[in-house]
Amino acid sequence: MFQARDLGYTYPSGRVGVQGVSLKAGAGERVVAMGPNGSGKSTLLRLVSTALPSRPGTLVLFGERQVSRETRRRLGVVQDEPVHVDALTGMENAGLFGELYGLSPKRASASLIGLFVAFGLEQVRDVPVAEYSYGMKRKLLLVEALAHEPELLVLDEPALALDPPSQAVLLGILEERSRAGACTLVATNEPALAQRLATRVVFLSEGELVAQGTTAELLENLHGTTRIEIRFTGETPDEVKLDGVAVTLLPDRIVAESRSGVEVLPRLTEAVLGAGSQITRVEVCEPDLADVFTQITGLDMRGDKEGRAEE
Amino acid sequence: MTLPIWKSEWIVARRRKRLLVLNVVIPLTLVAPIAFSAAPSAHAAAVFTVLFVLFGTFGSSIPLIRDGESGLLARYALAGAHPGGLILQRVLASAALDILELTPSIALIVVARGASPAQVAMLLLTFGAALLTANLLGAWAAAVARSVAEGALFSVVSALLLLHIGGTFRSPTPGTWGAAAEGWVPFHPLHDALLAATGGPSTIGPASELLLPGLMLLGGLLVTGGLGRYFTVHSRA
Repeated sequence: MFQARDLGYTYPSGRVGVQGVSLKAGAGERVVAMGPNGSGKSTLLRLVSTALPSRPGTLVLFGERQVSRETRRRLGVVQDEPVHVDALTGMENAGLFGELYGLSPKRASASLIGLFVAFGLEQVRDVPVAEYSYGMKRKLLLVEALAHEPELLVLDEPALALDPPSQAVLLGILEERSRAGACTLVATNEPALAQRLATRVVFLSEGELVAQGTTAELLENLHGTTRIEIRFTGETPDEVKLDGVAVTLLPDRIVAESRSGVEVLPRLTEAVLGAGSQITRVEVCEPDLADVFTQITGLDMRGDKEGRAEE
Repeated sequence: MTLPIWKSEWIVARRRKRLLVLNVVIPLTLVAPIAFSAAPSAHAAAVFTVLFVLFGTFGSSIPLIRDGESGLLARYALAGAHPGGLILQRVLASAALDILELTPSIALIVVARGASPAQVAMLLLTFGAALLTANLLGAWAAAVARSVAEGALFSVVSALLLLHIGGTFRSPTPGTWGAAAEGWVPFHPLHDALLAATGGPSTIGPASELLLPGLMLLGGLLVTGGLGRYFTVHSRA
């Protein structure tokens, strides 16, 4: 579907968007680009979606180097900002973009109605977009990008501002399109979304591609710990000793950092109950792709600051 | 052939009723006192020409800059719209709307000054061509502007310069380069038609004299269509 070689882009201010990024993806693949703000995710997506010209580097889309209108019509693009014709209704906007993508009004209508229902926009489809909330505008962007069933989807933070049901709908649609052969390139810094969606994850940091692999491959190399926190009312256990687990005892909770996952959870709860206390809450935080990113770069994906690996 | 941008422009115009009314009423309030006064035709025609031309350039440039800055034009292009076709659809729709909105003002001039049917026919023809030219000029101003303020400045400066070259503010001496250049400017026939319709002399002779400004207008349309991609790329990149 696309093959990028040594892609680079420097903004007019001199800020480097991306440099030396090589990446390719084929039919059915779902590639997720992850990294903190300013890492180059959006720039990479703008390059692949042909919104920006690569200088230097080459981009081959559907086997062609030359970008044409026909090439662009095979793409479905969601950019970071939800831009529409505010005076037009949601359906009129979607119809307008459907026509630009080459859909006949009849085919566009059938496809759009289904997507409006799926994303919960059917009640506001005849309302001017000026009256839409930010989340609704984001959903409308997705509707417009999906309606013509593109072969390559380029989605920048597609789940941003979506309610949980709509996120589930989006994931379902993307999985279904993927099975039908569509390729997807997504930018996000949400580890949960990436783990659910990606067939391959690429990490970007300061404009460069620093690692890539499947979620399983990346997590396998992570020497992280599972964090377990048990809150309780009553007495704090005197002592909890478990092999390979660092346990911190506090007045209302115990915090354990386990190298063997949640296996130690029963013994931790036994210790609390054994002290005569009542458990009020248990939280388990498994290591995720954000931890992998931190391990590789020393940066926190969510805050662009020194991460736990450096602490 | 579908013209989705053209269609959407008309829907938006119909929906913005307040703006539509203002765009009819404000020119009328500016035109009426002059049309019904004893103002010399040379002065009246110059004021009307400037008013109509600036109405066209601003009406085209400001929305294009706004949509360029918001990223809407780039979105259209990314969705597969031909950049030249996209700009031409916007320019044609904007010019057609301007013609509709300014027609009451033209009608008022005709009634107030008692123009003949031949003068009215010439006025309508040159009026449409001048507004199309003004909208093209606005699109060009938008293409080089990096803000709405710049767009307004470029629109005014370029329109006034062309109006001057077109003889709106002076009568060039025959045989000079100014007199030769005048005939090429598409605003010149409108000024001349307004001069005649308001009771003054007409300097346009045979219809063949409309050929040069007509060619200029056609060339402007072709260049705009060909260079459309430069109109859709703005500073957001």
